[in-house]
Amino acid sequence: MSDDQASSVRYDEATKLYRGSSEPAVDHLSLEVPAGEICVLVGPSGCGKTTAMRMVNRTVEISEGDVLIGERSVRDREPAQLRREIGYVIQQIGLFPHRTISQNIGAVPQLLGWEKDRIRARSAELLELIGLDPELGDRYPSQLSGGQQQRVGVARALAADPLVMLMDEPFGAIDPINRERLQNEFLRLQAEIQKTVLFVTHDIDEAIKMGDRIAVMREGGRVEQYATPAELLMAPATEFVEDFVGADRALKRLALMRVSDINLWEAPLAHVGQATAEVRAKLDAADVEVPFPLLVDGERRPLGWLSERDLAVDVVPGKPDSPLGPVLELDDVMRDALADLLQHETQYAPVVDHRGRIVGVLSVEIISEFLASPEAKTDEHSAVERPHD
Amino acid sequence: MSTRPSRGLMTSVALLAAAGDVGGDFFRERDSGSLPCQARPDEPFCFDWAKDNLDRFGTPTVQHLELVVISVVIGFAVAFALALFAHRRGWLRAPLLAATGVLYTIPSIAFFFLLLPVTGLGKDTAIIALAVYTLQIIYRNTMLGLDNVSSSVKDAARGMGLTDRQILWRVELPLATPEIIAGLRIAVVSTVAIATLAVFIGGGGLGTQIYGGGNLTFPTSIFISLAIVVVMALALDAILLAIQRLTTPWRRARTI
Repeated sequence: MSDDQASSVRYDEATKLYRGSSEPAVDHLSLEVPAGEICVLVGPSGCGKTTAMRMVNRTVEISEGDVLIGERSVRDREPAQLRREIGYVIQQIGLFPHRTISQNIGAVPQLLGWEKDRIRARSAELLELIGLDPELGDRYPSQLSGGQQQRVGVARALAADPLVMLMDEPFGAIDPINRERLQNEFLRLQAEIQKTVLFVTHDIDEAIKMGDRIAVMREGGRVEQYATPAELLMAPATEFVEDFVGADRALKRLALMRVSDINLWEAPLAHVGQATAEVRAKLDAADVEVPFPLLVDGERRPLGWLSERDLAVDVVPGKPDSPLGPVLELDDVMRDALADLLQHETQYAPVVDHRGRIVGVLSVEIISEFLASPEAKTDEHSAVERPHD
Repeated sequence: MSTRPSRGLMTSVALLAAAGDVGGDFFRERDSGSLPCQARPDEPFCFDWAKDNLDRFGTPTVQHLELVVISVVIGFAVAFALALFAHRRGWLRAPLLAATGVLYTIPSIAFFFLLLPVTGLGKDTAIIALAVYTLQIIYRNTMLGLDNVSSSVKDAARGMGLTDRQILWRVELPLATPEIIAGLRIAVVSTVAIATLAVFIGGGGLGTQIYGGGNLTFPTSIFISLAIVVVMALALDAILLAIQRLTTPWRRARTI
């Protein structure tokens, strides 16, 4: 991507009143999406989120108010010209069945009058960017899987390096496993291309995962809360948002954290050949919360947990009695770490750095204390990092 | 729709018999002289006569082909334009469908004679009538093809910045091609059959060899004419099928 560009999008009292309808679908919506961020419009069906999104490229005409891209009103633009500067991805993908993959990707550049060689080069570049074999460029859409087609849909939207991307439930029709993969791929891609994205979904989990900011909308196109995912989960502004976010918002917050964001327990370490009396003394110290010593090698890499029986002899044995169980990394997402603990039916797991050296112990207790503590909520704001960063 | 060609053939044969009395006036110039196989009515096909008279079929075949091609081309141009018009203005769909439908139900022979006072004897009258018959099939299939284009493809096209005209010519019509050509195939085959009736209004074609002057029962000439009609219908159909294959490569690329 040589010429990355992105513009902010600003809704200014934007209103859509469909003919024959007394209630506006979108009612005086004001919202600013900073350049380069993903803004998720989320809400139940009929809340006007798609209508709001479509105002940006004027596939829905604005009845009142305005939408500005950069500082420019979309109302001043010729619709077809405007749309060529805006990437458009829809749930049903809508690839042209009669065009090859390369031709599909090159559709907007072709409209913009690019030269053939440049279009071909751009198609190839984008195929690579979305991780598809360049040979697939000569295939027709019907020859690709649903997931591949949706990747092509994203590539097609990116082809002319748009200022803004509109994505209407782009992964809604994909099976859960592939959806997760596509979400991750898109976040990775976005980290690289830094587009301004308006992303519509009805799935709050997807919103939390994808959004830099989330606008929770309800009937009539009214925004109930516009905030970062963490803020939304920590402090829902209204009852509607609280309901929509769900009773498990505490767990959802874990999806936004990494193991490194929390204070770990210190592990009582033991080395092979060390006197067991020494290890016992360590365990008896007042500030030790882990009741079992962790056997590590010379590089401080964990080998296993020592049991009472291991400590019954004089020196620490080379082979620990208890298996090591799950080993977590600092970069692991907290929700996955908790899932690991629960799955192994264990209370504790050693946490290692990227070289595999022990840095501490994570326990179920730490996590539940963290979720319960009020100070966690104030901490969290700074601690939260989005999983893909 | 597919019953049309055979119905056309059947009506043409039946009507030839019925028109035997009046038809004589139109074909005074035709030779109704000696027919060699008449002496042996038990023989359905007279090879000797066929061998000697094959060249009689040359000009009528060319005329027949001309009638078919010209009327289908005109019919296509009109029906296609009507379909595009109705596609743009939805309220025209039903009235146009009804109008072309009514024209389609007029019996061919009645249509020929209705046109006579207006356009007179000759090829033009035949072409007008034949072209009118193709309208319904081509119009309906074109509409069907345009309707079948998935709305998500059109939504994506619009969202990407194609103008309405670009969506029509670059997306909708290419995707409607299979249905449009399917309509053309039916139209061509039925026109080949109905064109045998052009003889009644002096339009020429293979009907001249089916109606053998004053003698309606000389079977050899009828068999040869029918064979040419069938071969012509199949050949034109095959050509259109080939065109469809060539213009819609994506439809054959279903599996990897």
